[in-house]
Amino acid sequence: MKLIWLIAAMVGLSGLAAYAAPSPWEQPAASLADQVAAILGPGQAHLTIQNLSSISTDEIPAIRRLLTQDLKAHGVAMAGAESANTVRVTLSESVRERLWVAEIGEGNQTQVAIVDLGPIQPQQAPTVSGLTLSSRQILVARDPLLAVLEIPNGLVALEPEQVVLYAHTAEGWQEQKHLSIEQRRQLARDPRGALLGYGDGLSFDAWLPGVHCTGSFTFVPSPIGSNFDCRESDDPWAVTQPPLHLTESSGGATEMNVTVTPIRAFYNASRSYFTGVLAPNNGPDLPPFYSAALIPRVAGSAALLVGGIDGKVQLVENGALKPVAGTRDWGSDFAVLQSSCGAGTQVIASSSGEAASDSLRAFELPALEAVPASVPLTMDGTVTALWTTPDGKSVLAVVRNAANQYEVDRVTVLCN
Amino acid sequence: MRWTVLRYFAISCLAAALAFSAAARTRPHYGGTLHVEIAGDPWQTPDGLARRLILDGLTAFNANGEVSPALAVEWQSEDNDHRWQFRLRSGVHFHDGSPLTSTAVVMSLNLACTPNCPWATVHAVGSSVVFTSDSPLPNLPALLAGDEFLIALTRTPDGQTPANPIGTGPFQFAAFSNGVLTLTANDNCWQDRPFLDEVTISASRPIRDQWLDLSVGRADVVEVPPQELRQAQQQRLTVVVSPPVELLALQVSDSGALANPVLRAAIAQAVDRSALFNVIFQKQGEITASLLPQSLTGYSFLFPTDRDVNKANELRGGLTPPPLTFAAGGDGTMQLATQRIALNLHEAGFSVQVVNARNAPSTDLALRKLSVEGADPPDALAILLRSAGENAPVAGLNSTALYRAEHDFLDLKTLVPLLDLPRAYAIGGRVRDLTLRADGTPDLAGASLEGAQ
Repeated sequence: MKLIWLIAAMVGLSGLAAYAAPSPWEQPAASLADQVAAILGPGQAHLTIQNLSSISTDEIPAIRRLLTQDLKAHGVAMAGAESANTVRVTLSESVRERLWVAEIGEGNQTQVAIVDLGPIQPQQAPTVSGLTLSSRQILVARDPLLAVLEIPNGLVALEPEQVVLYAHTAEGWQEQKHLSIEQRRQLARDPRGALLGYGDGLSFDAWLPGVHCTGSFTFVPSPIGSNFDCRESDDPWAVTQPPLHLTESSGGATEMNVTVTPIRAFYNASRSYFTGVLAPNNGPDLPPFYSAALIPRVAGSAALLVGGIDGKVQLVENGALKPVAGTRDWGSDFAVLQSSCGAGTQVIASSSGEAASDSLRAFELPALEAVPASVPLTMDGTVTALWTTPDGKSVLAVVRNAANQYEVDRVTVLCN
Repeated sequence: MRWTVLRYFAISCLAAALAFSAAARTRPHYGGTLHVEIAGDPWQTPDGLARRLILDGLTAFNANGEVSPALAVEWQSEDNDHRWQFRLRSGVHFHDGSPLTSTAVVMSLNLACTPNCPWATVHAVGSSVVFTSDSPLPNLPALLAGDEFLIALTRTPDGQTPANPIGTGPFQFAAFSNGVLTLTANDNCWQDRPFLDEVTISASRPIRDQWLDLSVGRADVVEVPPQELRQAQQQRLTVVVSPPVELLALQVSDSGALANPVLRAAIAQAVDRSALFNVIFQKQGEITASLLPQSLTGYSFLFPTDRDVNKANELRGGLTPPPLTFAAGGDGTMQLATQRIALNLHEAGFSVQVVNARNAPSTDLALRKLSVEGADPPDALAILLRSAGENAPVAGLNSTALYRAEHDFLDLKTLVPLLDLPRAYAIGGRVRDLTLRADGTPDLAGASLEGAQ
């Protein structure tokens, strides 16, 4: 008796599930059947279906069943190939959307009915195992974003002609204030900029080619720019973002609370790279480079990772410049974050391929070789800048997407 | 299926290129001179390579084929698309330093627009340009993105007509000698400076000479006609291939000997697309009988492509029109295709005389390549119809209405679609980040050279 009840309950549940999740093809099938019946009127017709779309062939019987039912409801019964009336349905699609087309033949006359099914839903990326990079979009802007800085309850975004302050509200990130940069020079096609926040969380520096700005905020309760000043300047830019929480290289997560002064570098505005001259410069001569990041090494020390304009990645450690192997797939942007996964420190590097969309991948540097620590994470477009957040636990990626909008994505490492 | 093969080939070419350049890549380098060779004229309309480098439009197609702001930052229509106002981008200057003004834009558009202008009037209102028309212009933003309406300076500040083209684009005219056009980077370009310092375009170069120059490093970007794609693959060239962006079509006059639409329908039935595809275009592109490709609409298969000589004879019904003139123009492949179609028509009882296009501006038949631009099917259809000589508003249509619009136009039998063809270019090893625009032409402003300093 219990078994009967159990079977009955399962049947009931499955029926409920079927009711709760209608087939996605019900509506288009009904709509096409309406149009076909309006042309044919009650009678008989021979139905054929061809599939030129990405719909799985496994789904064709269900679609046929739906069409047959809907046509029958309109008085159009299915007949064999000898029927004078034919309904040839083609499941088709363009690059953007699906459409179902019916060619209705009555003798020598053929009429056409078309149903638009709307945009094709992109395929979900398969889940992967291992240390995983996770990306979450936090902001989209129409104007180019050269750099982004996270501040308490807010975000500072550097654009070519202004700094925009965003506040984090219940509705998401809201623009609070626009601080105009009057000294704008003509930018390069690949414009860059930099932002540096200070430990007080109340002030920042911004650099654009030939321009240096300083600003500060008050919180009422959102960040509002209270002071902002720009001047023409060729002073060096900050290329690393403090604070850096140095940890033991053994993998322990002990924070050593070492204050690291940001490294500054002179910028070649006409060629969009750093000249290789640092300030202060008390290490070896560096080649011109695009990116640099401080990375914790043994015994609480830090080394400078430099991505040269020739594509070579080198490490400045103990006063010497050492080549880093395993970086052939790296693009020109990287940033360092600290997590509770793996060795505790990962370099997040952009990809070097010519694909339409860049990807980010986590690497670890146990010695002088970059070891992949995650599978690549495909971004929505071209990665134009990568910055470590002030807490050092995530990376903000600026991505120019296919619609030429600029997204800010927070990238973090997830342990498995 | 055939397009799948082409895509596979394109992907294979790119994969080979990537494998070849496995070294670490960096941000693009600034500097250097890129050498381009083409078979045609860099200043020809449409699709002249230099035009897009020197000039900008009020709007432009982005990489996805969507209409996006260019010299105009925003636009709005009123009065059911009879009046359009485009607000100009501020701070833009022509290459000679003179500011882009609404008056300069209006002068340029008036000069560019032929008697078959889509609008009735265009005038300057403050920093805006206003178009008016007796009939609605739903596709105007897309039409203004085309090659036809790029903005050039028509009068210098001292009232002279510029000796050389002056625009607002990423490159500016520097010199033209011995068939080589030299363009230099526009440091003050509103789109920001291009990576390259200089581009040279060698005009009227035969394809074989282009490929030879590519192989010895004298050229960085050369053309690959669709029928040569297989050959390029065999020679292991790095090739970038566009989706189908050109429609090869037979233009049929609706006056004179072919004023009778039944005769035009007979001609449409007589053409053998398979022979063109298999033999002359070496199985590249797609056979089509529709104006827009299947990838854009999804309903192209509704237009039958098969040849039916019996039907053609039946339609002709014993009528024997006077000998038809058929203009043979373009390159050798286009002339071969012309000869082939003339043979098809002979087989269907037509008498055809192939004449040189240069000597016969008006003929009964002509083979044409029409651009298929933009990702929005109504806009793409409007642009294509305009290039075929029709100003037809096409907007806000669902697939059914779009199919009807296309069907009704093709029913006139004044244009017989034959093949959808891609555009392709072979690139040298030092070229980086070369992409193709929505019209299939190379976007040289975004390209850079490996090792440039």
